[in-house]
Order: sequence, then C-alpha cells, then structure tokens
Amino acid sequence: MSNSAVEQRRPKSPNIQIYRPQLTSVLSIANRISGVALSIAAVGLMIWLIAAASGPQSYSAVQGALGSLIGQIALLAMTFAFFFHLCGGIRHLAWDAGYGFGLRAIYASGWAVVVASVLLTAVAWIAALFMRG
Amino acid sequence: MIIRSSNQMPRITLLKRFPVPRNLGVNPQSRIERGRKWPAPSGAKRIKIFEIYRYDPDSGRNPYIDSFEVDLNDSGPMVLDALIWIKNKVDPTLTFRRSCREGVCGSCAMNIDGTNWLACTRYISDTATLASVYPLVNMRIVKDLIVDLKHVYAQYEMIEPWLQSKTPASGKERLQSTDERRKLDGYYECILCFCCTSGCPSHWWNGDRFLGPAALLQAWRWLTDSRDEAKGERLDNLEDPFRLYRCHTILNCTRTCPKGLNPGKAIAEIKREMIARRS
Repeated sequence: MSNSAVEQRRPKSPNIQIYRPQLTSVLSIANRISGVALSIAAVGLMIWLIAAASGPQSYSAVQGALGSLIGQIALLAMTFAFFFHLCGGIRHLAWDAGYGFGLRAIYASGWAVVVASVLLTAVAWIAALFMRG
Repeated sequence: MIIRSSNQMPRITLLKRFPVPRNLGVNPQSRIERGRKWPAPSGAKRIKIFEIYRYDPDSGRNPYIDSFEVDLNDSGPMVLDALIWIKNKVDPTLTFRRSCREGVCGSCAMNIDGTNWLACTRYISDTATLASVYPLVNMRIVKDLIVDLKHVYAQYEMIEPWLQSKTPASGKERLQSTDERRKLDGYYECILCFCCTSGCPSHWWNGDRFLGPAALLQAWRWLTDSRDEAKGERLDNLEDPFRLYRCHTILNCTRTCPKGLNPGKAIAEIKREMIARRS
C-alpha cells in the first residue's frame, strides 16, 4: 500500500485540454449553452413586454434597439438557440424513453438536430420578413 | 460524418481539441512541460514521431512530453508495438501497462490522438502524422502512462458486482433460459479498461460522487441478471442525485468503448427501471 501523501502529490492527467471534441460532447455542451441563452432571452422578452405595456415611448425605444444590427443578430441567435434546444430536447426525450442508443442512431439524430434547427431558424425568419411586408 | 461503430476513426479534423487554455483549472504540479527528443537508432528508414506523456515520480519534475522517433520497418503494426519498440530500443524507462496484446485484458487503455482506446487494438497507420499518446484522461498518474485506478475500482466495488441471492443454494447450478441469458449480452463483455469513465465529461467534473459509465454498466449487468435477487437494494443504492443522475447522456462513453459496448444505454435502462418501480 502506498501512503496518501504520495498519492496526493501525483499529477492528474489532462481532460478537456486534450480530449477530442466529438459530436456527442459538442452537442451536449451546445444544448447547455443554448439553454443558458434562452434564460437570457426570457429576460429580454420580459423587457419587451413591460415596454409594450408601459407606453408607446418605451416600446419604440425597445423596438429601435431590437431593429439595430446588434439587436437583429441577437434575435437571430436567440431564434437558433430556441430551435436547437427544442430539437435537442426531443432527442433527449427519445433517449430517456430508451430509444436511439446505437452509435449510428446517436450520430444520425445528432446531425438531424443541427440541420433541423438551422432550417427551422431560416423558415421562421423568412416567414417573419414576409409578414413584415 | 455518421459513426456506425466505436472503432471508426473520427473524420472531422477541424477541431482537434476544445478551444480552452492548456492550463485551465490545472493545478501547478499537473502542468505539462516540454521534454526531450529521442532520435531513432541509425539506419532507421521509415520514421514516425510519437509524442508521449511522461512523468517520473522520483525526479520531482512536472509531467512532460517526450517525442520519440519510431522505425516503422522494425516495429509491429499497433500503437502498443510502437511503445514496446521504444522501451526495447530507445528508452527502457518508458512505463506502461500491457498484458494480452489482443484487446481482452484492458490493461493498455490510454488516450491516443485525443480519444481513449486500447493501444493493442489501435493501428499505428490510423494515428495522426504526429501521434500523441497520453494516459487515460482525468486520472492520477503513478508513472508515465500508468494511471492510479484505485478510485474507479472503489466505485466499481460500490455497485457490489457479485451475484446476490436470498434463496438458499440448491446444490445445483442456478439455471437461466436462453432469453434470460441473452439480456446479459453487451454488458458481460466489459473488460474494465475504464476508457468510458475516463472519457466522460460528467465524471471529469463530478468524479468524486458520480459513479461513471463503467461502474453503472456493471450495475445494469447485475440488475438485469435473472439469477440476482437484490434488485431493490441495488436500485436503492443508486437512487442518488450524483451516483446515477449525473449522467447527462453525453454518450462519449458509447463512442469510445473499445469493445463496442453501450454504457449509455445501460444507464438509460437503470433510469427507466427507477421510474418503473415507482409506478
């Protein structure tokens, strides 16, 4: 038996610093990041609603901010985060029900989530631009 | 793009490691320094360079990366052969575990080009031009590529990996039907190399309390055994926010298993069993 002082001095091998990013881990962390982004988006939605309720002046100020280039980019990112988190959530739901655990299914569903969230974001924005007229 | 089995090499070469600082959260004694170059013996024709993680507990030095020139004409085809070649021909102090050299013992599990695999079943021709060999990630290092498995073995012990029955022994074998036996397929083959547990990000951050995929796959192997009669106690032992539920279905485990098993599915089965017994 080695003593614990020796064990404490032992270095730890690196983990995230060297482990290869794979679809599995990248989508998992992306799902978390999109979740955090959506929490921030929820605050933004509240600000927009409060502004709308408190009068035309504050509402037009918020609308102006959202209409700026940075506002539009933020909106686009939030739309993507919404659809990505939604599709990823459905994927996790299938797993929790016990389906889709073959490696092939893991990868196919993973890429499907990426493609579907990009497409849904595009459809949502095209629809929004048409409705604006 | 679509990976069908865990022995397929990763094809996307855009992002070889996560964009995080090399020493992010690394304690000072674990920081990796540059080591020396070991040239191949004269007369070597087909040379490949291996960058290998070294640590000598007696030197008082930090871990470092040595680069070795290996003569492919003189060495066998597997990464383990290259390591043995280095030990025989270049540096006899290079230290690693190996035994069966055919993927049944699990001793030579290590991180090759960023993913965990057995050195004896990874072809040298499948490694990067500058092959990198690290010990299993996120483990205490005893020496060079040898990791301290005490912690993961203790976690394995926690799931009580032996047959538990209350009915007294009849003096004969405990029989199973073919279907009952088939339920163990894909789980009993685990060789405890701990590639999966070492590759699990959840185990990196919560390894002190989360049991990790290797131990949980074994837990399911006993839960699904028709001869075992301690199902309730086993589930009670796992019903914990950390031990079982720190699994977030990342599935690095299933991607990396050198035996092609599916720890992710085993853990999902345990979670479903937890729900089933409540209703």
